[in-house]
Amino acid sequence: MNVTVRFLRPFARLMVPFTPHGKKRNLYSTTLQRYMSSKVPSLPCHKDSTSPSKQLELDGWKTTMKSSIQEDGVSSVVSDKDEDVLAATREMIEMRRLLGKEVPEHITEEQLKIISECPSKSAQRKYLKYLFTKEKMKKADQAKKEKKVEAREEAKKARLVETTTDEKQQDFMFLRLWDRQMNFVMGWKGVQAMQFGQPLVFDMDYENYMKPFEIRNAVSQLLESEGWNRRDIDPFHIYFCNLKIDSAYHRELVKRYGGKWDKLLLTATEKSPVDLFPKDNIIYLTADSPNIMTTFKHDKIYIIGSFVDKNIQTGTSLAKAKRQHIATERLPLDKYLQWDLGSKNLTLDQVFRILLCMKNTGRWEEALKFVPKRKHIGYLEISQHSKEIFSKQKTTTSSFPKGSLNARTRKR
Amino acid sequence: MTYLLGFRNIQKLWRSTPCFELGLATSPVSLFLGVTRNQHRWLCVKTTFPLNSKAINLLVAKTRTLKEENDSSRQVSSDHYFAAGAAKKRAHLNNNLQQRDHAVSRKRGTIEVPTTPLNSEEWDQLKEDFKGKISFEDKVISQMVRNRSSVDVAKSLLAWVAAKNNGIVGYNLLVKYLYLCVYHKETSEVIDVYEIMKAKYKCLETGANSILIRGLIHSDRWREALLRLEEIKKVTIPSKKNYNDCIQGALFHQDVNLAWSLYQELIDHNLIPLLDTLKAFFDFGKHINDDHYSNKLLDILLYLRNNQMFPGESLAHSIKTWFESIPGRQWKGQFTTVQKSGQCSGCGRVLESIHLSPEEYEFLKEKIMRHVIDGGDQYKKTTPQELKRFEKFVNSCPPFDIVIDGLNVAKMVFKNRESQTLLDVVSQLAQQNLRLLVLGRKHMLTPSSQWKKDEMKQVQEQADCFFADNISKDDPFLLYATLNSGNHCKFITKDLMRDHKACLPDAHTRHLFFKWQQGHQLTIMNCLQRSKLAFQRQMLPFETRNHSCNH
Repeated sequence: MNVTVRFLRPFARLMVPFTPHGKKRNLYSTTLQRYMSSKVPSLPCHKDSTSPSKQLELDGWKTTMKSSIQEDGVSSVVSDKDEDVLAATREMIEMRRLLGKEVPEHITEEQLKIISECPSKSAQRKYLKYLFTKEKMKKADQAKKEKKVEAREEAKKARLVETTTDEKQQDFMFLRLWDRQMNFVMGWKGVQAMQFGQPLVFDMDYENYMKPFEIRNAVSQLLESEGWNRRDIDPFHIYFCNLKIDSAYHRELVKRYGGKWDKLLLTATEKSPVDLFPKDNIIYLTADSPNIMTTFKHDKIYIIGSFVDKNIQTGTSLAKAKRQHIATERLPLDKYLQWDLGSKNLTLDQVFRILLCMKNTGRWEEALKFVPKRKHIGYLEISQHSKEIFSKQKTTTSSFPKGSLNARTRKR
Repeated sequence: MTYLLGFRNIQKLWRSTPCFELGLATSPVSLFLGVTRNQHRWLCVKTTFPLNSKAINLLVAKTRTLKEENDSSRQVSSDHYFAAGAAKKRAHLNNNLQQRDHAVSRKRGTIEVPTTPLNSEEWDQLKEDFKGKISFEDKVISQMVRNRSSVDVAKSLLAWVAAKNNGIVGYNLLVKYLYLCVYHKETSEVIDVYEIMKAKYKCLETGANSILIRGLIHSDRWREALLRLEEIKKVTIPSKKNYNDCIQGALFHQDVNLAWSLYQELIDHNLIPLLDTLKAFFDFGKHINDDHYSNKLLDILLYLRNNQMFPGESLAHSIKTWFESIPGRQWKGQFTTVQKSGQCSGCGRVLESIHLSPEEYEFLKEKIMRHVIDGGDQYKKTTPQELKRFEKFVNSCPPFDIVIDGLNVAKMVFKNRESQTLLDVVSQLAQQNLRLLVLGRKHMLTPSSQWKKDEMKQVQEQADCFFADNISKDDPFLLYATLNSGNHCKFITKDLMRDHKACLPDAHTRHLFFKWQQGHQLTIMNCLQRSKLAFQRQMLPFETRNHSCNH
């Protein structure tokens, strides 16, 4: 069988060692067989030295193409209609890949099911593109890994060559256990925060408003926030409120955290924040709020709605706060930043880091560096007018006897 | 019976694209323009017989005027109030598309596509000169498709590729070559490629199938196009273009029943048929004298009516000729316009009124209450307490004549104090002895530089007022108060209410809402402070269609 490598290239995936189950193997083997069995006579090159426009052999390729008719050796009798649809979909995707469209090479049965259940063509196309990019990323990662392994091997060889026999005795103060030590310290700090830290609530009540992929994104952002909290010098005591056991949120969190879920130093509860804390101390952070947050108050409990809305659903969290009669605030983005584009809804981890920074420093300019740079042009100069107001306030507060904290808080 | 169709004028091309996702067909009807004497022409079909069976609708197709000159007042029509936002954009797009057809688009990084077939050495030479990331053959064939090169050039390319690859031509090259063949109507070539594809691949994907369908319908093997359609159906729902091609093929080969069954299938999939499809049916109808067929055509007209679709000019002509070709009925069609009074200039009949029927009205009222104001979560736009307060307030007052969106009106004149603008409007309307309701927010009552206390007091003396919370939405209240007062009640705002329309559940309700809005919304046009109020009248005295009229 003299098949050139070039011809086999599109079917290289068939050579990938994998163990498909019965149905699939059948299909692949037939396609492979079909392509192998197609006898490929080589075309003699017509070298016409005559004028090109006349004596050109234009239809020669058709005969060769037609001669490669494969005998239909597909013996797999498909009786089930669903199976038929899936097989047709698989074939369709394969053909689209030949066209150079953005579709994945390998598709599992579950993914096929999802594709055939897509409500519209555009949904199908989007999902295929998503799978395609995912596959590409995976391949790139693998290539990187292989390169690293190779580099390591090289380094090893090099070291083997120049192994010196005299082993110097060196003095060190510590053993290399840094990561573990860090984890210990963070654990201690986390326990401290659980006892004495300022509570910060993530409200998990938005599951019904989200699609599965949005829930996945929200959980990723929660993980990120929790990580930043752990590393901070003075962590919050995080609460996951309204987290129903065995809801999609809960399942995803447990899946992502694995065995660590039960050892996390935070409070996950089915209760709502209104049950846990006095209502007057709660402030719900939402971008739709009419009130602007001026300072970070250390005696309040801030709530962040853990809600990713790709198609922006305005007013959902504001409505929730209105229903429970909770005070609301929004970050003073317009006051400090020259907003350019993008929505003012920040991701959970961005809001969380802004709050952490405010808690530690209290300076908005520093805290707002976590707002993505693409969304604003730069910082606003605080205008003279507001400065004057600020100084006036200062004089009024200083007219009170020093040390009377109450007066100050009342002024706020 | 009369359909009024979207018109097209010269400066702006209003293509009535029934866009159901957006829920309105953008065909501004310039009938409210009392000042202009526009000579758009309509089509009105008359019969000399009273029609016995169905209430057929009369077609009125606004078409391009012949007199383009001396029509200086035309520009007003293109500034129609409801022709904003998406509608405007679509009109521009249509305009640009028209122009783009004339201009040959040149893209950077292109290859000079040869105009004559080359031999393999020349192709080799070209390939050497080409520098790019993607493969040379793909690039060249794509360019050919873009420039609509002749089939022979593409064929020479394929021959060259096959010679290099042991007679194998890639699927993507084949598909693009097929496209070129279909474009140049080389049917024999299409059949050849079809044979090759059938031989080589077990099944094809949707794109190739669509091209094949289009290529096969003109050949003797047109029935195989239906097999292709079946193959598409296995994977997804075929597009309206696929159906259009198949129907055209069936009609071309005199298979009427098949065409109708395909049409039915298309409607069942909730696809909107292309106007070309409908035109094909009408054109074919000229040669057929059969009651069953003509009833089906009348059904199509009903479909157009029910879905607010407007035929284009060519389709309007087809419909007209079909009506006039019916033997014994002596239909007469002419392109006319509708006068300001709502009469057709052709026959003097009054067109259907724009007002909703009582059932529709109740239905719309209930939907607005349930979806726009409540929307599953009363706290989103208002609060339950406020809603109760508002309902109590509305029910305690007698019906209003005009409901004013206080904040919208107040912010209209930029230079003026807001409360002053509001007071001007309210007092001018109050002089006409109209019962007014002013909707606003509570912050209007707190005195400030923009809101003077005594002016607000005067407003409250001259009109009933309702002030919502500062974080509530006031538009839903406006809509409900207007609807609740009855059909005579109008509302004043510049807001187009598109976001509220989008809250409605389905296209039908949205259309009802739009119709009601066109009939009941007033917009203040003048922005000069001391001049007299002038409203742009949205109120068409009739709607853009009519029931049967028998002369």
